[in-house]
Amino acid sequence: MRRPTPAAAPPRRLPPLRLLAWAALLAMLALTLAPLWMVLKTALEHPQALLAHAAAPWPHDATLLNFRRVLGFVGVDEAVALGGSGADIDFLRALGNSLLFTLLVVVLQTANSAMAAYAFARLRFPGRQWLFGAVVGSMMLPGVVLFIPNFVFIKQLGWLNTMAGMVAPFCLMSGFSIFFLRQFFLSLPRDLEEAALLDGASPFCIFRRIVLPLSATPLATIAMLSGINAWNEFFWPFIVAPGEAQQVLPVALQSFKSQTPQGQPDWTGLMAAATITLLPTLALLLAFGRRVVESVQYSGGK
Amino acid sequence: MHPVSRLRTTLAAALLLLLLAAAPAALAGTVRYMLWDASQRPLYQQCANDFQKAHPGIRIRIQQQGWDDYWTTLSTGFVAETAPDVFTNHLSKFPDLVANGQLADLTPWIRRDGLDPSRYVKGLYGPWGRAGRQYGLPKDWDTVALVVNLDHARRAGVSEAELRTMDWNPRDGGSFGRIVARLTRDQAGRSALDAGFDKTRVQVHGYQNPGPGGMSGQTEWSAFAVSNGFRFQAAPWDTALRYDDPRLAETLAWLAGLPARGVSAPPQAVGRLGVDTLFATGRVAMVPAGAWMIGHYARQARFAHAWVPLPQGPAGVRASMLNGLADSIWIGSRNQEEAWAWVRYLATPACQGLLADAGAVFPALDGLAGRTLAAQRRAGTDARAFIEMAQAHTFAPPIVENAAEINALFDTAIESVLLGQAEAGAALRQANTRAIGLLRR
Repeated sequence: MRRPTPAAAPPRRLPPLRLLAWAALLAMLALTLAPLWMVLKTALEHPQALLAHAAAPWPHDATLLNFRRVLGFVGVDEAVALGGSGADIDFLRALGNSLLFTLLVVVLQTANSAMAAYAFARLRFPGRQWLFGAVVGSMMLPGVVLFIPNFVFIKQLGWLNTMAGMVAPFCLMSGFSIFFLRQFFLSLPRDLEEAALLDGASPFCIFRRIVLPLSATPLATIAMLSGINAWNEFFWPFIVAPGEAQQVLPVALQSFKSQTPQGQPDWTGLMAAATITLLPTLALLLAFGRRVVESVQYSGGK
Repeated sequence: MHPVSRLRTTLAAALLLLLLAAAPAALAGTVRYMLWDASQRPLYQQCANDFQKAHPGIRIRIQQQGWDDYWTTLSTGFVAETAPDVFTNHLSKFPDLVANGQLADLTPWIRRDGLDPSRYVKGLYGPWGRAGRQYGLPKDWDTVALVVNLDHARRAGVSEAELRTMDWNPRDGGSFGRIVARLTRDQAGRSALDAGFDKTRVQVHGYQNPGPGGMSGQTEWSAFAVSNGFRFQAAPWDTALRYDDPRLAETLAWLAGLPARGVSAPPQAVGRLGVDTLFATGRVAMVPAGAWMIGHYARQARFAHAWVPLPQGPAGVRASMLNGLADSIWIGSRNQEEAWAWVRYLATPACQGLLADAGAVFPALDGLAGRTLAAQRRAGTDARAFIEMAQAHTFAPPIVENAAEINALFDTAIESVLLGQAEAGAALRQANTRAIGLLRR
């Protein structure tokens, strides 16, 4: 028997339809990446060269000046002379505030939502269905509607310009997180929990020692989604904690916007700061992106 | 006099003396100051450092928030009781702040310290008062002028002398209209006056109106309209607005007609980027701009450019809005005496001179503008056109209550005129009636 020589194997060719699909995917990828490239290109441009070379696809004379400006390595006077604004943002402090804000929201929201979701999934108590309906219904309420009552409440608590005031509306619950986790908890085999019950475990003990370890993936998903939301959150921290000591990154970036009526934002500084701000989200997405998508599909399909 | 009563009087007098002597030392605390222009922040920080040396008990904390979010931050601060003690105020916003009772009346302090209003450039102090109360001390002033791309002017054969002596009228545009046409170039290099000019393929537009400009049209249309005989209102706070004046309508109709002739880009092309972007990229040869933009244009325009006065109108005058900023004290400030000490210092030649020597603004105190000019000359800009406009016919912006709503009303109406969606006369008459309705509600 003759074995076919490698030369005789038909060359691998992409069928035309697959080629078309690849082309469409590449086009979509380019469309998605183009704005990000514009951000990076603007960030690398010299403040004075920006408008003169606005249409060029590459930075005219790439410089890290704007990044140095944002991180505070260039003095305000010098920045103004170079064509930037005199915005004096303490980037590292804002970064620290953003990290703390995000961490608190992620930990508290995930923990509280998980406990609430477990209660809705397994415990029997009067009014459970109604309460769950209210929680799910809260997803339909646009966030803007809640700003004023929340603001008044936080003001009465004396929490304006504090981290507590910033975190409070996000930490107790989130309709989506509770709904998402409840659906997952419902799908867990009851036998495990019943076996633990027979061994004398309390509901909280079952939740902590059996349910939570089985739920790492959905919990990570919720943590990531709430983390990305908290990282990007602008309006609430802007209203409730505009003081410079408490500013989170998106609020601090405001200082690069138009300084005067009819003025221009400090585009290069703004984009450099935006690039740095994007990095953590981008890193999360690159590291865990597939997991997020799978997890949402998994739960959404139930 | 009874000895006990005499003793009491003496004691009271001694106590009063002691209080008076202790008064300057008693000034202590932190004064928070807010401004919007980040490029001025380092200069005001210098003023604050000088002030703190003279008043060791008071600390000045400067907070900066760009114009886009300035008024939101301030309003939230009023509600939350976290507003700054002192802030830079704008004439278009101050009527609403007065109506809402957010500004402290400075009159008692002005009287006590004997401040003389006549030391300010004429026309700056008055607009900040109402019914005998004063709500701000002027800090700077600005007028409007035209900035011209000299490369384009040379190519079109337009001399600087011509640019400095333009006249305008709403019928044929006058010499200003002809210069705008000469500055315009299509892709084949023909000007808008040449036969065969292709208005669909324009390389350089001669002039660009920045936008609708709301109720005051500060850089957009007010100078043209007032040089045509228009007035916003008879006096500040007057509710009988005059936007239905046909002289305003014909001014706006003339400006709205420019894009169709190819001498201006369509309003949509200006978009969010602003006329300064079109100017800096060489797409437009001439635009109007306020004095606060001098530094911005100097940094962005990488070609020879010059500031020239606005054209003379049919009323026989060159006209410009004379607008000024002032420092106001928030009524809720817990350190009002300290706040006043800072406001008073901001109005001294020491602080205003410091800003002048940096070329940042034209100070409100009379006699300091020359120092601003000198500083700008050192930086390579000749800004005399703004002084020339200040010495021409100047007018104050409209001052009305409900300014936010009325501003939005006129902004929408004028935008529809500029976009060619509405006839100027009808749109303005309708908006004027609605605005007066709002004022007399």
